[in-house]
Amino acid sequence: MADPAIVTRLGGGLRPRRAAAGRRTLTAYLFLAPFLVIFAVFVVFPAVYGLWISLHVWNPLLDDHPFVGLQNFFDLFTPGSLTFEDFWESMGATGIFVVASVPFLLAIPLGIAVLLNRKIKGGSVFRGIFFAPYVLGVAVVSVLWRYLLDPQLGVVNAVLGLLGLPSDIPWTVDVPWAWISLVGITVWWTLGLNTVILLAGLKGINPDLYEAASLDGAGAWRKFTSVTLPGLRPVMTFVVTVTLLASANMFGQSFLITQGGPGTATRTAIMYIANQGLVQNQMGAATAMSYLLFAFLAVVSVLNFRLQRDNTK
Amino acid sequence: MSTVTTPTVTAPAPATAATAPAAPARTRKRRRRAPNVLTYAVLFLISFIIVVPLLWMLLTSFKTDFDAISSPASPWPNPFTTEAYGTLATGNLPILRWFANSVIAATAQTAIILVTASAAAYALARLEFRGKKIVFGAIVATLLVPGVVFLIPNYLIVDSFGWLDSLWAIIVPGSAGAFGVFFLRQFFISLPNEIEEAARVDGAGDFRIFWQIILPLSRPALATLAVLSFLTNWNDFIWPIYVLLSPENLTLQPGLSVLQGTYSTHFGIVMAGAVIASVPVLILFTLAQKQIVESVASSGVKG
Amino acid sequence: MKNPTLRAAAAVAILGLGVSLAACSGGSTSASSDSVRADAEYSGPAVDITFWNGWTGGAAPVLVPKLVAEFNETHPDINVKSNAMEWADISQKMPLAIKAGKGPDVAVAHGDDVATYAAQGLLLKTDDVVDALGYKESDFPEGLMAAGQFDGDQYGVPWSVTPLGLYINKDVLAKAGLDPETVPTDAESYLAALEALKAAGIQGEWADGYVFTGTFEFESLLWQFGGDLFNEDVTEATFNSEAGVKALTWMTDLIKNGYSPANVAQDGNINALIGSETAFNWNGVWQTTNEALQSVSWTAVPVPQIGTEKAVWSSSTHWMFPANKNQDPDKSAAAATFVKWMNDNSADWASTGELPAQNTVREDPALLETYPALAPFLEQLEYAHYETVAPGITNAMAEVTTGVNEAMLGKKSPKEALDDAAEKATQLLKQNKAQYGG
Repeated sequence: MADPAIVTRLGGGLRPRRAAAGRRTLTAYLFLAPFLVIFAVFVVFPAVYGLWISLHVWNPLLDDHPFVGLQNFFDLFTPGSLTFEDFWESMGATGIFVVASVPFLLAIPLGIAVLLNRKIKGGSVFRGIFFAPYVLGVAVVSVLWRYLLDPQLGVVNAVLGLLGLPSDIPWTVDVPWAWISLVGITVWWTLGLNTVILLAGLKGINPDLYEAASLDGAGAWRKFTSVTLPGLRPVMTFVVTVTLLASANMFGQSFLITQGGPGTATRTAIMYIANQGLVQNQMGAATAMSYLLFAFLAVVSVLNFRLQRDNTK
Repeated sequence: MSTVTTPTVTAPAPATAATAPAAPARTRKRRRRAPNVLTYAVLFLISFIIVVPLLWMLLTSFKTDFDAISSPASPWPNPFTTEAYGTLATGNLPILRWFANSVIAATAQTAIILVTASAAAYALARLEFRGKKIVFGAIVATLLVPGVVFLIPNYLIVDSFGWLDSLWAIIVPGSAGAFGVFFLRQFFISLPNEIEEAARVDGAGDFRIFWQIILPLSRPALATLAVLSFLTNWNDFIWPIYVLLSPENLTLQPGLSVLQGTYSTHFGIVMAGAVIASVPVLILFTLAQKQIVESVASSGVKG
Repeated sequence: MKNPTLRAAAAVAILGLGVSLAACSGGSTSASSDSVRADAEYSGPAVDITFWNGWTGGAAPVLVPKLVAEFNETHPDINVKSNAMEWADISQKMPLAIKAGKGPDVAVAHGDDVATYAAQGLLLKTDDVVDALGYKESDFPEGLMAAGQFDGDQYGVPWSVTPLGLYINKDVLAKAGLDPETVPTDAESYLAALEALKAAGIQGEWADGYVFTGTFEFESLLWQFGGDLFNEDVTEATFNSEAGVKALTWMTDLIKNGYSPANVAQDGNINALIGSETAFNWNGVWQTTNEALQSVSWTAVPVPQIGTEKAVWSSSTHWMFPANKNQDPDKSAAAATFVKWMNDNSADWASTGELPAQNTVREDPALLETYPALAPFLEQLEYAHYETVAPGITNAMAEVTTGVNEAMLGKKSPKEALDDAAEKATQLLKQNKAQYGG
């Protein structure tokens, strides 16, 4: 930034630099203040407060919150403790969902975006249709599909029956079908979002590059891997990161469609944490779990960035 | 950011097309992936997969409970009835009120985000000050922290303010997201310095520069952030579920959860509720579709 | 350089911590519960009171607003607002809401919740209200008054009981060549009926692992085989006893022997009964008011005695008076008046598919005349079992449902599922004792 020039101009070269810098700082903080106040109260402070809570047995309905040090964290690594099995099962559920959903949430929108990138009539109509489910919201989507996929009363199984296929598939009742349902519904709900972003990224790739590749004799697939994918890199990084985090934070679909069932098999980490903290009233254990989840996601995100960066070298 | 150079790159392309000899231009046009039947087929198939369930939802809302249970394979109501809507109208689930709450909350939060994030981003992008690295570092660090870490502490904080069961709890806590600041800062940095410097030479102070120069130039980015923030708040589910209690204070997403719980397998009624929740949104979306989709599209490109 | 930011952040943190610590310590006033004032006639200032209940199904959503409107009209000083939400939602939200001062002034909840709420300091004592109503223990089915007690004080006022029953689709029985008027009463006749149905290509009882049907069926069978959910002082889970394994195996055998499909979805069985795809369904008395059910030829009878004794699951609902933060005693007194009025006008309550708890109301012959479908349920009250009452018991009970669910889905053998669930439940019981004492 052309700092020294501005400072000398504003100060007229007569006022001492420090005072001008001080006033600049004040101005800057005035700009920052509205954001920082809310940020401090609802982001910074809770982060610290949460750690504090995790060091206690904290039942909000009782007045006594005994300090237990790192016991809540130790319990999460001690087989046989109250929270060990359930927590790792829920982390497993989160892991399964992330691994199962992210590839589809990337590949399908990418494929659609490639198709939409061709010169087609009504491209914006298609885009609008694909985006519509996201606008409807997670509850409408979940409630609708809970009905369509009902094993006894839903249309999906009824149609399968008409086609002579097994018509009693427990879409919302048993695993692994419940996972298939959850992934499928999430893709249906959000494919428009990723498609639209990837399409914009595709449009930003210089068509000359494709021309050059054609002249080199590259076929469609080669062009895709050597022009499209590299050209999409920055957008793809963004989309991958956002999709990963969104999948790891999946709550609504599981809550509304499978209620974490069967048993607790589709209960994601977030569902378990929220339940422990706000329903079972074990806030100490729940906050400890949330920090552990954070650690996991941080590692995954760092790995993600590393991988992306290495690929660009 | 490679994408910032996009405007300058596409400009020369038509120029080269014009100067190139006739034959290669014709070749290029043919090579520009002419859409074939397969492309349209796939796009239509996907549209079908999206539209049909929504139509099914609409049709089921006109079925009786018994019909919805007993003939799942047939979309056509037999008999056609509006009793599901009648039950909802006389029941005590205020769906339209939920819709209004969601609109109010999403709009208010978006407004707060636009104001606070733009000001903060401006300071971080354009001003030098003590502690800048710390502040920016702190904000960026929270980008990776999953929301669930804040869930329980914020519940207690919101409770201590007396905001439980009120829209304030839905509006304020989420309005300090790091994404908005980060996103706008990126954008502000990409704006050329010259305009600002010229203004300073004319004696304009920081605030005037921000208000009269930077912001007007940032309309597309602000629009993007507005749309994304609105949709995020609209879709928020886990926080309102725990923080809103009385039926009339719910927003749409937890409200529909209550609807499903209340009417369980009375699918005609549940679908009717879902339809009521969808129609206004779809109407708004259809009207503003181009704007919304393009705003979202540019979020990835600029981000 | 770092100072302004850090100082600012620290200031905010300290301020925030102070605020929340103050909020925390402010809750101590509700630990020692006060009582509800029970005036003969409400004589305080005009008040609005909120009433939370879980009556979202059957005839209740129509009847409750009617009763409330009548009360409001005849009591100009009191305005009751009724909020119906799912039972699960109430138990999820009400405790924290009460703590925050946003809970209702009167609520109805199930018997197994009363002790928990009382132990958490969420309720006002109701001894005075009970006296004013003139209630004695003998006015209710055995054990019902005690269910609303904690630590020697009364916190609940019994309202209704809701036992399980056997619902039968008579058309389906006829289709299989069975006499629709002959109902199975024991294991032999029940299995014979199921066999006959199977021969006619019908799966006679759809068994599931969900709480409102499967879990309650399991508990009924558990008691029928002589077992119990927990031990005397509620420190150990005993539902994985031999009786429990017998009970759960009997249910999983229904699937094994082809009398039930696998993977039945929630409410799948009652809907199958309505759709005439099955003949029998173990369900609660509340289904008698299910509108969709009225379109088939159905009847309800006492559940067959599969085990060695007669037993059936029943729940109960109780009135309770939350001790909200800064609870207005006038509002609570008004709520008591409301409760008194509801109890006096509870004759019609049977139309919601719940049995009035008060013996005199229930045993009035006029009741059966108006609601003949309730006869089999009334019959069973003699040997009905209610769930164990202890603070925090509901989280241990959730493990029962998990165990039943896992066995019904074939994930674990009945013994394994019950053992795992019992181990978890016992741990939870320990945690409850540590937190709540009593």
